[in-house]
Amino acid sequence: MMTNIYQIAEKNIEVTSIHRAVHRLCRDYRAEGEPDFRVEIGQADLDEERSRAAIDASDAYLEALAVYRKIAEKMPEYDTVLMHGSAVALDGEAYLFTAKSGTGKSTHARLWREVFGERAVMVNDDKPLVKIADSGVTVYGTPWNGKHRLGENISAPLRAVCILERDSKNHIERITKAEAYPALLRQIYRPADPVMLAKTLTLIDRLADKVGLFRLGCNMDREAAEISYNGMKGTL
Amino acid sequence: MKLNKDFILHIADGETVLVPTGKAKFSGVVRGNKTLGAVLELLRDETTEVKIVSAMKARFDAPEEIISRDVKKALEGLRKIGAIDE
Repeated sequence: MMTNIYQIAEKNIEVTSIHRAVHRLCRDYRAEGEPDFRVEIGQADLDEERSRAAIDASDAYLEALAVYRKIAEKMPEYDTVLMHGSAVALDGEAYLFTAKSGTGKSTHARLWREVFGERAVMVNDDKPLVKIADSGVTVYGTPWNGKHRLGENISAPLRAVCILERDSKNHIERITKAEAYPALLRQIYRPADPVMLAKTLTLIDRLADKVGLFRLGCNMDREAAEISYNGMKGTL
Repeated sequence: MKLNKDFILHIADGETVLVPTGKAKFSGVVRGNKTLGAVLELLRDETTEVKIVSAMKARFDAPEEIISRDVKKALEGLRKIGAIDE
């Protein structure tokens, strides 16, 4: 067994694992001090992940998933949820693109980096954590940042959540909470613990009240990045 | 019968939604009409189909056969996704 402490979304988390891989994954998040909570992985957790996995994966890979699942189960206690999406910060403010897998979140985030250059910084390209506090909403980088490992150990105030759909022409519209809600429910991690799920649902409500909500129809042209940024920035 | 504990009832923007925990086999989200919302509310506590129909009759101005049919349909849908403990 191997144990280290990592600070993720401002919480010190002690991670005890069977394999080393998850510690390599988390190395940029190493921290010292007292943990806020502990996560320990046993063989049963790996078996559980294997039963959920769509592909045959190594125990080390499954363990990294199991660690994040345990973190995501606990985080609603700290007003924080895991959201499936690509978060990019521009001039210090973050925009989170979410959609079902394969729609092109990462591609769109890449277009932002191409169009806006160094002004655009990837917070996390796959599974950022989002804290919904009274003072505002913050998106945090995490070690679980997608197959291309795009993301940093940084945080940024979240200005908007944008639901991305493919289209031949680029267009963006502001949407209501009711319109955004189904997608938010699908893309935010739903804990197994009913109490934590109930907390997550109240956090989703607060998130939808506190950030701009948009639907973007986009293709893969650079114009898509300009239209999505101008649409969100211009109307916030 | 009662709502399974792996399903959480939540009111979002005036709409009743039924959301499964990460443990439930069903992974979708159920959004329903007024009837389903009312049935789900009644299923928070131990009840029966007869009691649900009776409570719905007091609440909605519709013929009993329509209410019975709608309740039966709602319960069938909920059973299919494992949302009801009998």
